Amino acid sequence: MNILVCYKIVPDEQDIVVKPDQTLSFDRAELKIGQYDLNAVEAGVQLVEAAGGAVTALTVGGAEVDNSKMKKSILSRGPGSNLAVKDDSLAGADSATTAKALAAAVKKAGEWDLILCGEGSSDLYSQQVGVQLGELLGVPTLNGVSAITPGDGCVTVERTLEDEVETLEVRLPAVLSVTADINVTRVPSMKEILGAGKKPSTILGSGDVELPAGRAVETTSLLAPAQAQRKCVLVEGDSDDKIAEFCRAIRTELQ
Amino acid sequence: MAEDRFDAIIVGGGLAGIAAAYRLAQEGLEVLVVERGNTCGSKNMTGGRLYTHTLEKLIPDLLQRAPLERRIVKERFSLLTPSSGTTIEVDSAKLGGLYANSYSVLRAPFDRWLADEAEAAGVMFVCGVLVDDLIIRDGRVCGIIAGEEEMEADVVILAEGVNAQLAQKAGLREELQPDQVEVGAKEVLSLDQAVLEDRFHLAPGEGIAWIIRGEDAFGPGANGFLYTNKDTISLGVVTEIGKIPSAQHSMVELVDLLKEHPVVAPLIAGSKTVEYSAHLLPCGQGAILPRLCGDGVLLAGDAAGLAINLGYVVRGMDLAVESGLLCAETVLKCHETGDFSRDALSSYETAIQNSFIPRDMERCGSYAAQLGNKALYDDPAKLIDVLTAVMQG
Repeated sequence: MNILVCYKIVPDEQDIVVKPDQTLSFDRAELKIGQYDLNAVEAGVQLVEAAGGAVTALTVGGAEVDNSKMKKSILSRGPGSNLAVKDDSLAGADSATTAKALAAAVKKAGEWDLILCGEGSSDLYSQQVGVQLGELLGVPTLNGVSAITPGDGCVTVERTLEDEVETLEVRLPAVLSVTADINVTRVPSMKEILGAGKKPSTILGSGDVELPAGRAVETTSLLAPAQAQRKCVLVEGDSDDKIAEFCRAIRTELQ
Repeated sequence: MAEDRFDAIIVGGGLAGIAAAYRLAQEGLEVLVVERGNTCGSKNMTGGRLYTHTLEKLIPDLLQRAPLERRIVKERFSLLTPSSGTTIEVDSAKLGGLYANSYSVLRAPFDRWLADEAEAAGVMFVCGVLVDDLIIRDGRVCGIIAGEEEMEADVVILAEGVNAQLAQKAGLREELQPDQVEVGAKEVLSLDQAVLEDRFHLAPGEGIAWIIRGEDAFGPGANGFLYTNKDTISLGVVTEIGKIPSAQHSMVELVDLLKEHPVVAPLIAGSKTVEYSAHLLPCGQGAILPRLCGDGVLLAGDAAGLAINLGYVVRGMDLAVESGLLCAETVLKCHETGDFSRDALSSYETAIQNSFIPRDMERCGSYAAQLGNKALYDDPAKLIDVLTAVMQG
């Protein structure tokens, strides 16, 4: 089974600073691979370990996709090769633009059976790219996938819904977005990290793939929520009186 | 090189480890640095002031290229009581020689930059991996163990920092005792660059190093420090780890007390905490470990006890770099003969003894003692010399 795993390089959220005017500063933020994308990578690597085949990591974006540390980071987690589309127009792209660029990149990725995405990007978390990519490619598409079992020309997947687990057989090729609890991602070992530098990585540009023109979404502002002043009222204990006091305080505030 | 065999493995991607690796890679050796943090510098902490003389030997154009914050041109020394204080300021432009160049630095960006330089020179880095143990055969260190994995090398350099557990496993150190370590806690406070320069009377690019003898002003036995960076201030306290359990205040509260002290508060007014860190640091007993090498293994930096700690000035980074470079020179010699026995590696111990490190460790201890000499206060020139030396460590 040939698997493409989509990932996004994002700023590390712990380094993002909220400025006094509620805007965000990314100046001190290091790059990292989207947390949820790592679950997709792990799912792909596990499928190949079980059923054979190859995993290729796939990303689109601005200059960050050519970062050697990011290339090493993704390849140390199991994919055999990396394919990236780099263009300034893809830096900070919206979901539709990203999905279109990925669909264009997939055409350069050779034969594939399955495309895996995370449940959402670590920065925007629109949860849109996987489903839009499947639609653009015209193949069966599912999100919320919490288990994948390889079969013959198909995979059996589970989707954990509110009060039931749905089991579906999906014909390949297909695009699946996996949940964050589908697996526990592995920590790369020394040898995997050292080996990652030797794996092939291809960077394509606007001359190689047909990139989407324009954007579907225009971002007019990006602000952190205003900090609410907390009342700092503490009610300690679990007696009925205390619970009543707690409820009274909430009711008063809501009125 | 075999797939999992290196000429040298360095445990710890701090300044000692990177310096050693960089120098070895320059000479074409296959070198691996294993760092437990996700990036080099992410687990490190300094006050902090870097004397650049040793790194400049490795990178001659360091001052032009490195992410240094501000060149230290002023030394300030304060003695505080809970409600007041007295301050002496010395212009450090009179300093020359080895210590002419010193800069405030922040370890996260600085170490990462240095690691990138080393990587470009051919060093291989593995970050996010904790080395658990050493491969030891017939008393000889042959490599490292991390989880299920083993990696072998002709020589292992342990630059693992103050709590050097692998050095213990190699039989080169005893377990760290509470009276051998202090703990430092630091906040990085952001402040508008123009405001910062105005408050500390600094020209752009110039910085101040300020050490604060607190005694009981903001915590029993706690001392403080403040260094100006480009648009941030590094401010923190150092205290003996043995005093923490009985202390009235936590480390976090000690930093807050220093920030609220009337001598400090106006200078940091309006700043915002952007980073908080804490770290162990070696106490300045003025003694280098008796043994710095064994069969197939060398110690560098804090792991080797190489630090000057006067209780309020802690200086280790330039010593760490020097020890890393001296490790590398010894390894290069041994690489030619193929002999990495303790006898062959012991030229490193000699090199350390002949370096500035033991001289400075002793000198700083004696200067601190001279402050108690009353005659000193009748000789302003001598007093300034001693004060400057004490402030600088």
